[in-house]
Amino acid sequence: MGEKIKINPVTRISGFMEIEVTVENNEIVDAKTKGFLFRGVEKILLNRNPFDVVYFTERICGICSTAHSMASTLALEDALNITPSQQGKMLRDIAHGCEFLQNHIRHFYQYVIPDYVKIPEANTTYSIQHYDYRLPDKLNEEIVANYFKSLELSRKAHEMLAVFGGKAPHTHGIFIGGITAQPTSDKIIKLKSLLQEIYEFVSNVMVNDVYTISEYYSDYFEIGGGYGNLLSYGCFSDYDNVNLSYVNPSVYIDNKFLDFNSDMITENIEYSWYVSDESTYEPFETIPEANMDKTKAYSWVKASRYKGFPCEVGPLARQWLNGEYRKGISVMNRIIARVLETKRIAEIIFTLLDNIVPNIDVQQKYDIPNKTQGAGLIDTTRGALGHWLKIDEKTISFYQIITPTVWNFSTRDEKDQLGVAEKALIGTKVQDAENPVEIGRIIRSFDPCISCGTHVYTPNEKLRDIRIV
Amino acid sequence: MSKIDVCNFCENNSSPTKRLVKEIESKIKDNTFKKKNFVWLELTGCSGNIISLLNGTNPDFEYLITQMVNWVYDNSLMVEQGEEAIEKLINVMDTDFILAVEGAVSTENNGLYNIIGRWKGEPLTALDTIKMLGEKASHVIAVGDCASYGGPSAATPNPSLSVGVPEILNRKVINLTGCPSHPDWFLGTLAHILLYGEPKLDEQNRPLLFYGTLLHDICTRRSYFDRGIFAEKLGDKTCMFKLGCRGPVTRIDCSKRQWNAYINWPIGCNTPCIGCAQFGFPDKMEPFISYDTTREE
Repeated sequence: MGEKIKINPVTRISGFMEIEVTVENNEIVDAKTKGFLFRGVEKILLNRNPFDVVYFTERICGICSTAHSMASTLALEDALNITPSQQGKMLRDIAHGCEFLQNHIRHFYQYVIPDYVKIPEANTTYSIQHYDYRLPDKLNEEIVANYFKSLELSRKAHEMLAVFGGKAPHTHGIFIGGITAQPTSDKIIKLKSLLQEIYEFVSNVMVNDVYTISEYYSDYFEIGGGYGNLLSYGCFSDYDNVNLSYVNPSVYIDNKFLDFNSDMITENIEYSWYVSDESTYEPFETIPEANMDKTKAYSWVKASRYKGFPCEVGPLARQWLNGEYRKGISVMNRIIARVLETKRIAEIIFTLLDNIVPNIDVQQKYDIPNKTQGAGLIDTTRGALGHWLKIDEKTISFYQIITPTVWNFSTRDEKDQLGVAEKALIGTKVQDAENPVEIGRIIRSFDPCISCGTHVYTPNEKLRDIRIV
Repeated sequence: MSKIDVCNFCENNSSPTKRLVKEIESKIKDNTFKKKNFVWLELTGCSGNIISLLNGTNPDFEYLITQMVNWVYDNSLMVEQGEEAIEKLINVMDTDFILAVEGAVSTENNGLYNIIGRWKGEPLTALDTIKMLGEKASHVIAVGDCASYGGPSAATPNPSLSVGVPEILNRKVINLTGCPSHPDWFLGTLAHILLYGEPKLDEQNRPLLFYGTLLHDICTRRSYFDRGIFAEKLGDKTCMFKLGCRGPVTRIDCSKRQWNAYINWPIGCNTPCIGCAQFGFPDKMEPFISYDTTREE
């Protein structure tokens, strides 16, 4: 029997997560990833006005709210049979791109960097220090300065989003048909100038910082690999007149590319606190009911699968699938791919801005049919995000959400295949079980967002009163 | 006057002053006289208020944590993890600290729907944590709708039985509604507490400084309303009233303050206010968007 380690909370992520691993002879032999937040958003959305889901689903997540406005808008457009104009699509993609910049900069500096760089204890929030910091003082100092400098740039990325979206987070601008603001010259040049600052920081500072870290922690190129099955719903592609394509819907399983087919997406609830007639179902089929008495379940994160396979999603999956980065699948590759993607997204926004025709209003008045359904699938900051909705008597009668975090942090399934992050933990050597720095580094490389992903319930665990004297 | 001069001056003065100075001197000696401790708890919600706070400018987040308070705990940013993180929460309770909370408090099944960490191996729920810290803090600030009254986390049918922080605590809680709360609403409230004590509050315990005016009264598009010129779809430049704008029932200063380095606000991008700073959001503010221009008021 090995030693069980539980880490809770895993800080520097969005939301609440517990990691439970079993360590034998300093090696992780079993792993469970669990989220610790239940709100039941899919249930809350029922019987609401269909237009409202764009703003409502944003409230799922504070750091990637724009992702949900994108997916819900696409699902409504599918349901209402509306194709946005190219201008509308480009403007919306610009807004979505700003969210990528904000999210990736904050994730890299505020969430990941403190695992590798010793932040001075100027404030209590930075007071704990583990044993494995490897940078020479001078480089460490430089990256610490960039930790604080980056706050200004991620803020400016949200400022860009507010130009078209009114405010961020929980922006207003993305809607059916594209966006609600009209792109005027003052707005376009404001976006360009803010983007220029962000682009310079990302390409001159952030990219250097990630390569510095990768040099001193090169063993992390070999840690935290996982299955190597990759999935993307595509984003920043499929434009009529602009020569630009970032990533198309693509799948790579068992060392083979497959044609993407959304019918291959399923969820399984074998190890989750839900019951339904079928333990495996397609997104449009069912929202399973909560049930707390399943003894083998350990999480309310469901297990999403493509053709039955667990798949990794996110920046590394995208860059591997589109051929831009194929150095490998591991902790350090994930972090590098996210940083390189930040630079790439900034370039994409420049291109899109250059192709905007000013002063066009892309909005119309829309009607909700009595009965319809639609799906919105798109790659967002953390990976593949899908919303599936049904409308009956002009109100929402069904809403299914499968987030990137459900792909990366799923439970085991009916075939006992581990979730992607669980698999990535297995086999990792833990140097000091008292201070397992490896685990946090592996988990954070996926950029988990438990606010998005999880509905976890812990059964039969009697709470002991906590008394402090 | 140097420190020694001050002390000499006090020696010859009234005893209460002398006692105070002695107390401060001893605190300086013990190294316990420092910025007030500060805890930011994220509970049942989207953790969007901490992201909004990072968008603050002058003061920005760096100024906040280096000049204003001693920032002890926050799930999204702190370096520690696991029980070492929770230990800081436990230790702060015996000190003088301010507590800010975002997210609602899930009460379903004894609070087990939202576990924020483990302490001595046992799960620590949002409910436990807020009870534990809430009574001991010098001030409690509920940041955002979920913390103030349940907000989107408690929307019908409220599967997690979420409630706001004031429903759990038997004490005054300052509410900063908004989804998310604007960084200025929080930073301005905190500054008021640090510099001048508790700010003047409305009947729902929100600072009048930010929540004193009806948005409709200070809307940049008010003249369109007065002249009866109404937008028919999103993207129009006129009054959003007939599309479902909740400015007429929402007390907040968005139109004057603006968001994200003060450059825009929802009506500025041609969409209605959805009343996110008003109690009852989202359920009582729906529909957010309606093209039915004969909407009942």
